[in-house]
Amino acid sequence: MADLTLNALGKKCPMPILLTKKELKKMSPGQTLELIVDDKGALKDVPALIHKTGDTILETKDNGEQITFMIQKV
Amino acid sequence: MTEDISFIVSDRSFEKFGMMLILGTTGDAMEIKMNFFFTFWGLYLLKKKFRKIRKTPKSSGMASMMKGMGGKIFSKRLKKFGMEDQWGMIKEAVENGNVKLYPCQMTMDLMGIKREEMWDFVEDPIGAARFLELSADAKIVSL
Repeated sequence: MADLTLNALGKKCPMPILLTKKELKKMSPGQTLELIVDDKGALKDVPALIHKTGDTILETKDNGEQITFMIQKV
Repeated sequence: MTEDISFIVSDRSFEKFGMMLILGTTGDAMEIKMNFFFTFWGLYLLKKKFRKIRKTPKSSGMASMMKGMGGKIFSKRLKKFGMEDQWGMIKEAVENGNVKLYPCQMTMDLMGIKREEMWDFVEDPIGAARFLELSADAKIVSL
């Protein structure tokens, strides 16, 4: 169970990235964020952002309609 | 270490505004420093009263009407995608310190555009030499 959930369904680039960054800023190290998107571009965009912030993607689930990322703040 | 990026914007089309909005806000999220240098027609994008409809006085007929309406339609669609307060998003990126918007002094004089017509979070006007100095360690991209 994640500490926080961000539902970004319907939001298109760059909104999933901007909203995720906003959540990460509020989080403490160790906390997890579950991000839900349906923007296909997010599959590569989210790892690009997390690579920059230095946080970790614990898990990625893609069921064809929605992509769920489990992100941990470092 | 990512290089900073300097963008030159010389066109007032909605597409260029959109590119600046998206690249600027995303760069801010990724903490990449970005400078935007607005020159010639690009200066119009910095005006508080910038109208997203592009007027093409020389053309007439359906084609130019549709071109003009494009800006308004795109703007509405961007709001549906989640980008509601577009200038607010840019202002936030500026306040975070990752984005700077520079107007070109010479073309402001050329086109009669005054600093007072622009948003207050736009930097003071600069010239070509200062722009090149700012961009010394950056990639320069013409939008």
